[in-house]
Amino acid sequence: MSKTSTLAFEIGTEEIPAFDLHRATEQLATLVPTALDEARIPHGDVSVYTTPRRLMMVVDAVAEQTEALEEVFRGPAKKIAFDADGNPTKAAAGFARGKGVDVDALELREEGGTEYVYATRSVPSRDVAGLLPDVLGSIVTGISWPKSCRWGTTSEYFSRPVRWLVALLGDAVVPVTFAGLQAGRLTWGHRFLAPGPHEVACADDLLAVVEGARVVPSETAREAAIREGVAKAEEQTGARAELPAKTLLEVTNLCEYPTVLVGTFDEEFLQVPEEIIVDAMLMHQRYFPLYDAQGALTNRFIVVTNGNPDCAATITDGNERVVRARLSDAKFFYDEDLKRPLEDFVERLDEVVFQEALGTMRAKTDRIVALTSHLADDAAFSEQDARDAARAAYLAKADLVTNAVVEFTSVQGVMGSYYAEAAGETPAVARAIGEHYRPRFSGDEPPSTAVGQAVAMADKLDTICGLFAVGQGPTGSSDPFALRRSAIGIVAMLEGGLAVSLADAVDASLATYEEAGVAFDRASVRGEVVDFFVTRTKVMLRDEGAGADAIDAVLAAGVVEPAEIIARVRALESARKEAPETFEDLAIAFARANNLRDAAAGTAFDEALFTDPERDLAAAVKQAAAGVAEALAKADGYAAALSQLAALRGPIDAFFETTMVMDDDASVRNNRLQLLNAFAEVFADVADFSKMAKSAK
Amino acid sequence: MDTETASATQEAPALPPTFQDVMMNLQRYWSSVGCVVLQPYDNEVGAGTNAPATTLRSLGPDTWRTCYVQGCRRPTDGRYGENPNRTQFYYQFQVLMKPSPDNIQELYLGSLRAIGIDVDAHDVRFVEDDWESPTLGAWGLGWEVWIDGMEVTQFTYFQQVGGFECDPVPVEIAYGLERLTMYIQGVDSMFDIVWSRGDDGVTFTYGDVYLENEKQYSAFNFEVADTDFLFQEFNDREAECGRTLAAGLPLPAYDSVLKCCHAFNLLDARGVISATERMAYILRVRTLAKACCASYMKHVVGMDVPADQLVFENGAEHE
Repeated sequence: MSKTSTLAFEIGTEEIPAFDLHRATEQLATLVPTALDEARIPHGDVSVYTTPRRLMMVVDAVAEQTEALEEVFRGPAKKIAFDADGNPTKAAAGFARGKGVDVDALELREEGGTEYVYATRSVPSRDVAGLLPDVLGSIVTGISWPKSCRWGTTSEYFSRPVRWLVALLGDAVVPVTFAGLQAGRLTWGHRFLAPGPHEVACADDLLAVVEGARVVPSETAREAAIREGVAKAEEQTGARAELPAKTLLEVTNLCEYPTVLVGTFDEEFLQVPEEIIVDAMLMHQRYFPLYDAQGALTNRFIVVTNGNPDCAATITDGNERVVRARLSDAKFFYDEDLKRPLEDFVERLDEVVFQEALGTMRAKTDRIVALTSHLADDAAFSEQDARDAARAAYLAKADLVTNAVVEFTSVQGVMGSYYAEAAGETPAVARAIGEHYRPRFSGDEPPSTAVGQAVAMADKLDTICGLFAVGQGPTGSSDPFALRRSAIGIVAMLEGGLAVSLADAVDASLATYEEAGVAFDRASVRGEVVDFFVTRTKVMLRDEGAGADAIDAVLAAGVVEPAEIIARVRALESARKEAPETFEDLAIAFARANNLRDAAAGTAFDEALFTDPERDLAAAVKQAAAGVAEALAKADGYAAALSQLAALRGPIDAFFETTMVMDDDASVRNNRLQLLNAFAEVFADVADFSKMAKSAK
Repeated sequence: MDTETASATQEAPALPPTFQDVMMNLQRYWSSVGCVVLQPYDNEVGAGTNAPATTLRSLGPDTWRTCYVQGCRRPTDGRYGENPNRTQFYYQFQVLMKPSPDNIQELYLGSLRAIGIDVDAHDVRFVEDDWESPTLGAWGLGWEVWIDGMEVTQFTYFQQVGGFECDPVPVEIAYGLERLTMYIQGVDSMFDIVWSRGDDGVTFTYGDVYLENEKQYSAFNFEVADTDFLFQEFNDREAECGRTLAAGLPLPAYDSVLKCCHAFNLLDARGVISATERMAYILRVRTLAKACCASYMKHVVGMDVPADQLVFENGAEHE
């Protein structure tokens, strides 16, 4: 191989948003090698380095020349490529054109006894330096950004304006251009610590020059530096920091040269509910709160800065002032909110839109109250629980119009529970309000009490039913109201023991919308909502590893209650796991019986016409039918029903082994079909075993 | 009003700039960069962006550079002067440059130096914050600028205004003057900001100038403003806007849009606009604002604008 050089490319920008930068970093890891490979440029390892102000790529061992290449393509067979007179046909001409060769240049070669035309195309070796401007240009435009903009008089788009380009192959500048910029060898350093410009002599130097200009050039290195700084701060303060992944990623990509500082705020603010303080620090300021050994919030916090470490005192002081202002705002709001009982805020929910076609949060509150009361009845709540549930439902949304929640949105619910407690509501009511947004995501804890679960379910189901009623159910990847997550939350609660019927609750919810005058087709919306839940349940079951065939088999029996579907699929999967052969065999036998089944024949078989295996099967079917009915009548009888079916394996196998169903005698044949119908019918309420036979084969 | 001792005034170099120093230094700085220094627009606006020198002048191909102080009214933010950080009236310092200069971030940092902030000794950061105004059919990408964690400026590259692509792209820089000055002066309440300091030591604070204003306007906005009058005003101004646009006069028509916005904001503060009505009012304002932009594009910029966007001209040409 010929001589190689290092390629270095830097796109210098104004500050790219933290999460967009992270995604771009991931993209570049494949975008760069792909662009080089597509241009057939031989190269070594590709390294990507990014900061908010630069995207850098360093490629080892880039060859000076691409390799010459001879490409051979097989075309149509000779008899298609040439007519009777030996002239090339349209097919041959088309093939030649497609491969970029002259039709006369096609050659004939034999392969497997047939002659085909072949096109040979030579791609000469090319100077890599000449290819690179286009390749690097394609990388600039190849990054896909969630949002991008134009600037100045340019028509090009990028996440934020591009301000410089460095492109070097060895020590030579690669003349790539973008948005009116010409690549050169000048880079800029940290905006305040070493602004530059700094000259880069050759590609191998780029990283060192940038590092020398007080820039930590990779996400991982900055994260490591931050973690190290946090560990030191923990040691120094004896406290422990929480580093939520999202905020950590954000602060990592909000600096080029991170320094970790510790700030303090007045202890008086610790009287404000912890959640508001944490929200103010994490969400608004991207500070990390510090907790003591008992897990209690302290009045200290961690700031990751991009400033000059020598100015730490000034920067800490400034950040402390911001926290003070924020927390005194929070305290002001909290104290203001406490001046009135929580219920006073309910009427003001009229000012908050729930959904344009569905009215305000005030109207939603009324529906949640009605639906909660239905659920309390259905679950046979005690009188006290029913009262608490109704009260919690009425107050659940009230905190949305409190000052604290308007300002710190992530504390919705939590603040409601503080205010409820302060207003003298029962602890059960306060807790239910605080927990009614749970579970917030898959795997999150549901509310800890049945009262809280009833309110949570009413709230979520109201949203789902309402949006389906106005045709705003989720489509594809678009689910702006997070209905899927809400449905998963409801299913988790139902499965966790909230003993209510989903189908009845859907009816109750739709009834509240009808009463409110929302116009929709009741039957079709009900169907959509029930299907939506069934689909969510299927997805959850698949996620926990249940077989699609078992899920389909269970659903074929017509169950729609998520908890029932889950219990049945799990029972079926576990029974199948215990006796795989029995179930596989039974599934095959059932599929066979099911295929032969003739519904018109009925099940009124005549025992007088039976042979022994038929008689045995008939007896087993009779016993199983009674057993299944008895088992399914009990709440947890599904596993027992399955073992009733499993008992049919022997008789049905013996039957099929010894008996020719399609007997020449019509009456015998018909009698046997009736028996098979009876056999298949036993399965009807349990599971459609033929679904499992397909995959068994 | 306080009278400081004469010796204090002699140590003047140690004193941070006053509120009006900040305004004047910003004006001087951006003036030196070639901006037209406008005086505040004489109509109620909710933000410096809404003044016609930004909204309308963002449109079209011509170069435009301006800066101005703008008093902004947000009736629902009134707190009767009791909250140290929130008021129904406050000042923005607005800069608009079209096309956005290549060194605009450096220019901006220069403006902070011009008002006494040593950017090298602080932690100045550009944190993603995109801007969208559904009412104006406008959006842009940019940042909020933090100094040691305090948000002091909005920085936006306008991409669209009134549904029209901005070409070239203007950059808007909007400083929250009170926030910034509180930071520079090291005070924790907006009302403690030193507004002016005479050579004889006589000082006026922000509270001296505006506390009474906050109390009275909060009471007016929340309790007193006549809602029937405001509903009527909204309707009248809407009609007037349409009539003015029919005459092909987008600049005066835009005044009516601002009047409608302010009437709406007052009605909102009075708590008489229900959620469903709110949407309808916002849509009505949007229709007017977009029609003004379309009219501006046609009559001032001289562009071909599809007739369906000139909703008030009814196909009739007014030259």
